[in-house]
Amino acid sequence: MNCRECTEHLYEFLDKELTPEVEREIRTHLEDCPPCGEHFDFERLFLDFLQARCRARGAPPDLKRRILRELFDE
Amino acid sequence: MSTATPATPAPGPVDEKRATFEREALVHLDSLYRVALRLTGNAADADDLVQETMLKAYRAWDQYEKGTNAKGWLLTILRHAFINEYRRRTRHPETVDLDAIEPYSVFGDVQDDDPQGTFFDRIVDDEVLRAIDQLPEQFRETVVLSDVEGLSYEEIARILEVPVGTVKSRLFRARRLLQRKLYDYAVGMGYIKASPA
Ligand SMILES: [Zn+2]
Repeated sequence: MNCRECTEHLYEFLDKELTPEVEREIRTHLEDCPPCGEHFDFERLFLDFLQARCRARGAPPDLKRRILRELFDE
Repeated sequence: MSTATPATPAPGPVDEKRATFEREALVHLDSLYRVALRLTGNAADADDLVQETMLKAYRAWDQYEKGTNAKGWLLTILRHAFINEYRRRTRHPETVDLDAIEPYSVFGDVQDDDPQGTFFDRIVDDEVLRAIDQLPEQFRETVVLSDVEGLSYEEIARILEVPVGTVKSRLFRARRLLQRKLYDYAVGMGYIKASPA
């Protein structure tokens, strides 16, 4: 696997969407190729950052009360 | 007719329905709300959209196969409700040529100065959410289902009714676009110096 092929699978690899065989080929390439390794690390940090910033907030507390009232007439 | 009501009534089918609905559907309220907020772009519409989704879901609850993917099922209902009732009045469907977007990584710009992307740490929640809101709708919904809600490509494909390959390419472009926006913002704020182009 060369750098271009490896990078094509970047997000599928980070999202754990690859077959075990392709995943293994990528891992091998990343171990042998520091530039790709650094790039993948950067993209992983970016995804972790995105998730941390976006998953923090949930529904406002009174929304559940409104829904329960609507559904079950409470 | 009868005036004698038992002190503790045995759970009837309505209580049973309510119990399973609370256990399997209402637990996903936070997810539905986050997705609704990113789709509609404002809290009042997000509230209404989620409420309507739950109402529709409760009415259709008998059709949902218990114990399967309730979150996906609810998000599909939510998305249909959004498309039918909100999209037209809240946002205009974009006319961006999505394939024309060049998805190159910010990594090339930062690998010398900040390969670990520490500048991201200084960007606050609201700025990230604003950047997501500026994405073309097809990118926005894909990134929200993946990065905000953590769904698999397969689940996203089912909800958006597109092939898995489309999910992959949208996600790729959406993340790169988002990354670029946030990088430009960080440069503007002086969190990182612009790479000599
Ligand atoms: Zn390489």
